[in-house]
Amino acid sequence: MEKSIRKYFPVFVLPTLIAFTIGFIVPFLYGIFLSFCKFTTVTDWKWTGIQNYTRIFFVNGKLDTTFLHSLWYTALFTIVSMIVINVLAFAIAMLLTKGIRGTNLFRTVFFMPNLIGGIVLSYIWLMIFNAVLQNFSKTIVSTQWYAFWGMIIVVCWQQIGYMMIIYIAGINNISGDILEAAQIDGANSWQRLKYVVLPSLMPTIGTCTFLTLTNGFKLFDQNLALTGGNPGKMSQLLALNIYDTMYGTTGWQGVGQAKAVIFFILVAVLALIQNKLTSSKEA
Amino acid sequence: MKMRKVTAMGLAAVMAASMVPAVPAMAESTGKVYYLNMKPETDAAWQELAAAYTEETGVEMVVLTAADGQYDTTLQSEMAKNEAPTIFNLGSTADCQTWENYIYDLSDSAIYSHLTDKSLSLNYDGKVAGVASYYECYGLIYNKTILEGYCGMDGAVVSSIDEINNFETLNAVCTDINNRIDEINDELGTFLTEAFSSSGLDSGSSWRFSGHLANLPLYYEFKDDGCDLIEGEATIDGTYLDQFKAVWDMYVDTSAADPATLASGALNAEAEFGMGEAVFFQNGDWEYSALTNEENGYDVTADDLAMMPIYFGVDDENQGLCCGTEGYYVVNSQASEEDIAATLDFLEWLVTSDAGRDALVNKMGLTCPYDGFVDDYAPTNALAECANEYAAAGKTSVAWSFNATPNVDDWRADVVSALVAYEDGSGDWDGVVSAFVDGWADQWALAHEG
Repeated sequence: MEKSIRKYFPVFVLPTLIAFTIGFIVPFLYGIFLSFCKFTTVTDWKWTGIQNYTRIFFVNGKLDTTFLHSLWYTALFTIVSMIVINVLAFAIAMLLTKGIRGTNLFRTVFFMPNLIGGIVLSYIWLMIFNAVLQNFSKTIVSTQWYAFWGMIIVVCWQQIGYMMIIYIAGINNISGDILEAAQIDGANSWQRLKYVVLPSLMPTIGTCTFLTLTNGFKLFDQNLALTGGNPGKMSQLLALNIYDTMYGTTGWQGVGQAKAVIFFILVAVLALIQNKLTSSKEA
Repeated sequence: MKMRKVTAMGLAAVMAASMVPAVPAMAESTGKVYYLNMKPETDAAWQELAAAYTEETGVEMVVLTAADGQYDTTLQSEMAKNEAPTIFNLGSTADCQTWENYIYDLSDSAIYSHLTDKSLSLNYDGKVAGVASYYECYGLIYNKTILEGYCGMDGAVVSSIDEINNFETLNAVCTDINNRIDEINDELGTFLTEAFSSSGLDSGSSWRFSGHLANLPLYYEFKDDGCDLIEGEATIDGTYLDQFKAVWDMYVDTSAADPATLASGALNAEAEFGMGEAVFFQNGDWEYSALTNEENGYDVTADDLAMMPIYFGVDDENQGLCCGTEGYYVVNSQASEEDIAATLDFLEWLVTSDAGRDALVNKMGLTCPYDGFVDDYAPTNALAECANEYAAAGKTSVAWSFNATPNVDDWRADVVSALVAYEDGSGDWDGVVSAFVDGWADQWALAHEG
């Protein structure tokens, strides 16, 4: 058996490998290459070295802070949304595993926002926000902070239900024996949460933080539909900023590509660090 | 075991085979036409037309329509393919710069010789890069019935619509209407809430001001400086921004919308005008079908609709409507020679054949600037007619100078956020001037560097 697996290994792996190469590795490497070029279509390029990378920060000989602004704005957005989503999702999951009446109904209701696409969801929320803010002569794009909290509310509303399901699965997996043993040993409910539930949930927490972290960094639909980057690009998250550079500025496809490469490196590094941190806590 | 091995090999082979791209069609001796269409609403008519053309001439023709707002992205990916579009749409000289390697010089083409107004061609780098696929006019759409009713009232500023022929009068009329809403509603039985429909600064409406209204200061400045009215110049002084401010203030002051929340996206100027809540609406003849389409349930009818120039206080006596286009047919110079020849033949057929003209005018509702579009193929649009009337009365059509805008999305976005700040009190008019003038120079430098 071992021998025949080794023998036919290429036959079974090759198709997937080819697909992965065509669909991912080649475009990815080509994308990195293009970030050093000036191009209109991907087949029509001219090598320009690191010019694209310097243009991210220096425009017309002046320091341009648009990218840096959207970088820290995105970082802040990611941190806040990651914390809020995970804390709330965990809290709701705890409540909905206590066996209260209507548990299934509540689980369904909380999960449902996740079934609606980001664009539609954001347009609906846009109407709600503006209807409320109208009373104060404000709009969701009055300042970058209105836009910020607006986006936080929308992504929380959308993602809490999803993370909740993952947490519920994790909590249900904790053996009742351990909890009972802890109780007999005299642990109160806070101690049970801290010393039994949370440690056994580490893999789940790892998954959820990883998902919310990358979702936060990659957020695009909600940003585009809810604020469009307004006021004046101040609420542009990184993905929208890249899109805007690519298609909004004449001849700047290469700069957009360069930003995308930086973006990839950032997300990859963050995800690796996060993975390291949570997996080291896993038993 | 043997059987299983064979099955496994077979499956693997199928998997591998499914990834081999379909065998490309045999190269044809005659050329092909591939049009990448910009307007989703005309897709059905184009598909029909392409089929008719293939049937009539035997030349293969494909039309692909980009999704609304996705033209640039679609164009970029389609052009990278082997079978790239042979005809595509560009909107401005700035676009030409992006696509400079793909522009075929149309100066000797048949379609160019049929173009009645040569200013409706797109010139770039000494070439005729594109010819207008249609042209459009915009100005102040007004509700003729209500405005006439107002003119007949006691104490009205003017006694006939014809007297509104300059900015001062227009401003006085709007202010008066806005101040006497209740009185007018009582007397005329109307449902007015404002003189001007709302000036929304959300992305669905802001182009009316950052693009169309901003055209006027640009146009007059280009005219003063003697540069090409469509190609523009590297720096502008904002000479006519005071007039821009006056018109903008009039829009906002005589509208019921809260100035601080113009960017909310909740405003719908078309509906306000359509439901007879407003008398004026700055927009173009393309609004005709939306306003008269019964499915939309608007109160206005074709008889209520008319359009006047955006009186700007500079040359009101001679100023007509703003006429131009943002959609030029451009032929892909990187296509094969046969394909280019086939494409040029098609373009000529499009504006001279009965089927082509019928599709453009009657099915797509476009106004086309070519010599064959008379009689049965004259435009049916009442608002487009207004443009002809003003032209016949000796008024000068205002060119679409905003086509010169460098990095148009970026520039407009900055102007709009300055306007938003001006209206919600977090900024002042100087911010608008700076976004307009300094922003222009910055974006021009960016867009035109090597």
